[in-house]
Amino acid sequence: MRWVDVKEGFKEFLEEFKREKTGIAGVILLILLVLVALTAPYTTIPDLPDKWRSSAYWEDNPKNVPPTWYNMFTSQKLVPQVAYYSDELSITHPSNTEILIEAPYSFSKGYYLGPQGIIIRNINVTLNLPSEAPTYSLYLERPDGKTVPLVDNKPLTSSTTIAVGRDAAISANIYVWLVNVTEGRELDPLQAQMDPIVIMNINTLVSTAFARVEPGMNAQDIINNPEPLWGDYKLVLKIDNPAPDQNKVIIDDIKITFLGRSYGTMGTDYLGRDLWAGIIWGSRVSLVIGILVSVLSTVIGLVYGVTSAYLGGNADEFMMRINEIFASIPSLPILILIGATVGHVTLMFIVLLLVIFGWMGIARIARSMALQIKEQTYIEAARALGAGNGRIIFKHILPQLLPYAFAVIALSVPGAVIAEASLSFLGIGDPTAVTWGQILNAAQAQAATTKGYWWWVLPPGLGIAVVGLTFVLIGTALDKILNPRLRKL
Amino acid sequence: MGYLKYLVFRILNAILVLLIVTFIISALFVKVAEQSNLAKMNDEMMQWDRTTGQNILRTQGQDVYEKAKAEYEQFLREKYELNLPYWQKVYNKAVRTLKLDFGTTTTPIFGTNNVSDIIKVAVPRSILLFTTATIIVIILGIFLGVRAARHAGSVFDRGLSIFALLTYSLPMWWTGMMFLLIFAFKLGWFPLSSMFDPQLTGWEHVKDVIYKLALPVFTYVFVVFGGWAWTTRNIMIGTLQEDFIMAARAKGVPEHKIIYGHALRAAAPPIVTMIIFALLGSLGGAIISELVFNYPGMGRLYWVALQQNETNLLIGLTYFFTVLYLAGVVLADMVYGFLDPRVKVGASAKM
Repeated sequence: MRWVDVKEGFKEFLEEFKREKTGIAGVILLILLVLVALTAPYTTIPDLPDKWRSSAYWEDNPKNVPPTWYNMFTSQKLVPQVAYYSDELSITHPSNTEILIEAPYSFSKGYYLGPQGIIIRNINVTLNLPSEAPTYSLYLERPDGKTVPLVDNKPLTSSTTIAVGRDAAISANIYVWLVNVTEGRELDPLQAQMDPIVIMNINTLVSTAFARVEPGMNAQDIINNPEPLWGDYKLVLKIDNPAPDQNKVIIDDIKITFLGRSYGTMGTDYLGRDLWAGIIWGSRVSLVIGILVSVLSTVIGLVYGVTSAYLGGNADEFMMRINEIFASIPSLPILILIGATVGHVTLMFIVLLLVIFGWMGIARIARSMALQIKEQTYIEAARALGAGNGRIIFKHILPQLLPYAFAVIALSVPGAVIAEASLSFLGIGDPTAVTWGQILNAAQAQAATTKGYWWWVLPPGLGIAVVGLTFVLIGTALDKILNPRLRKL
Repeated sequence: MGYLKYLVFRILNAILVLLIVTFIISALFVKVAEQSNLAKMNDEMMQWDRTTGQNILRTQGQDVYEKAKAEYEQFLREKYELNLPYWQKVYNKAVRTLKLDFGTTTTPIFGTNNVSDIIKVAVPRSILLFTTATIIVIILGIFLGVRAARHAGSVFDRGLSIFALLTYSLPMWWTGMMFLLIFAFKLGWFPLSSMFDPQLTGWEHVKDVIYKLALPVFTYVFVVFGGWAWTTRNIMIGTLQEDFIMAARAKGVPEHKIIYGHALRAAAPPIVTMIIFALLGSLGGAIISELVFNYPGMGRLYWVALQQNETNLLIGLTYFFTVLYLAGVVLADMVYGFLDPRVKVGASAKM
């Protein structure tokens, strides 16, 4: 086969491919997928794989919440995430020793519950005079005129992160306030912290601070079934710094986050990780593994099958036995076993494993095709002219199988993508990568399906399905062109 | 080559492959077992040292203690086969496996330690789930595929093709998770876990099993039947363009008879092969699908064995899978030779 023939044939093939609507749809999808994968660091968070496993990085996010757009479909609306940085806050200095930081929060009508919590972080303190250490107090001013004291005069250190909704002492303070308003009793905050009601409801007590609370109401009922109090709230953080010359409080990086009950485009998982970013990044691994595995196993299968057919006789017999041995080893269990014993698995190792257990079918088909080609006269002629085995296999037989190879490559991508996802799902994946299988693995481990966290389960699988569909569309279009009987339709 | 000779050749071939695969599997698993056995031995040694050993040391002195310790270690080494060279162990394991002597597990599963008994409990469950589903898929797939081929290019045909392409790209276990979310969590029609209730007997047990099976079977059928229908369609379209179909049509044979009598029969060999492998594949169960549905069959058993490091059970299960596959290959060859006489004479010599 000459180069000109190949070029001519390719042109003809392109012409025909253009007429296949499904094939074109597949190519468009593929281009979109590649774009999404390539731009992942720019459209989402850069270096996501490094951050994915550090739970500290995701601390400012609510946990297990659905995407924001889900509100369009529910009657009970879920508040979105709101974050303030120092330039968006009102920071005042009423006196030399005081700093007052105020964050407005509007709890709009129609929403079902207030924020899941409030996180304040990045207050930097340099302490030179420990006896005069700065202290802070935190209040929530409500639209009904009441004020919830969250923190009262606690020492401020440079590692202070204030976590309303996760801190037991703050939840106890909310409870003390609640009992005070409803029943008029004054509880001891330290004792309240031991109260089983507080211990049981550390996370949910935040909602009562954003609920209707009037004298005479039952505190227990409000905790169990808070009735939202809509309106404008104000969070006030007061820092007292008695010795501003010695002890410096730097709040340039301060971040106040009102944790939402919904988040972003795809919600969050049990660590508060942004699932949208994870899914975008997962497309990279999926595409790379899918294409790499299918290309490698097709190439190996083709060369193996053709060689086997061409050599014939005992060599063929022997090579086919090896093929059968590989085919009859149950692959997924063995893959799991190898993955489990090796320990640290890299992506390349997974590719290798999937190729080792994935070339057999193609080799068989290639062999049967090559058996026919082998009998043709020009092969005999080439041999008579003194061409070596390698030359005949690579120059004369393999190029004829090339178009077929493209269809096989495309059609075997979905299998490879699913195989990688399956391994990751079982917990045998590259721990440094973010993959759809691993997201689903975490979902399964946290029983997301039985808790109804659909946003955690649906998108990764859809991603796998879209990648699969893309290559199936391309593959079947190729198949139709190469298999003329189907083309008539 | 006659049919019988061909068959004997295929069976011998399968046995040879089984022997080699058994050795490969043994080599793999013995390597894994070696580490866990060493850990177990060290554990038992420490246990002995703390109780019996210290006792001997106190009452009979250093020398007796040293001797007893060495003796006990020797005993343990033999017990865990740590005294044998690697290849000897592999050989022993492979021979025992071929004799179907799989040994026992360290912790009881399904109330027994015997690997063969454990497999005997799990296999019928996988058969029940996946074979039921596969049979539904075959019937549905062939029927719909033939229909699509008859009306090629119709809305039905296009719809089926699109559905097939979509489901081909879906991981079955993910579809299972989604169906659990929709039908079990949201709508509450099916149970969230397919684990059987062991307390029920008789009719109540049957009802329980059917209730627990419904969703996994539905999932399997949903994901698989499209592909089947599509493949059947493609094979049938090819066959329907053959000359003998045209001849039959010209003769005035009724269309129904042409489709089911002539075309489907000619298209049978590849479809039968598909059926055999689908049925055999169904016995193995799908590891992840069973995990998702928490169904107590072979697949989930395999996973449990891996988690608990039960090498004997793993070897037993893997061996079982391999035998099944090879039996399927032989069976498919048999049927092929039966349905397509050409295989026996020409091609088999080259196979």
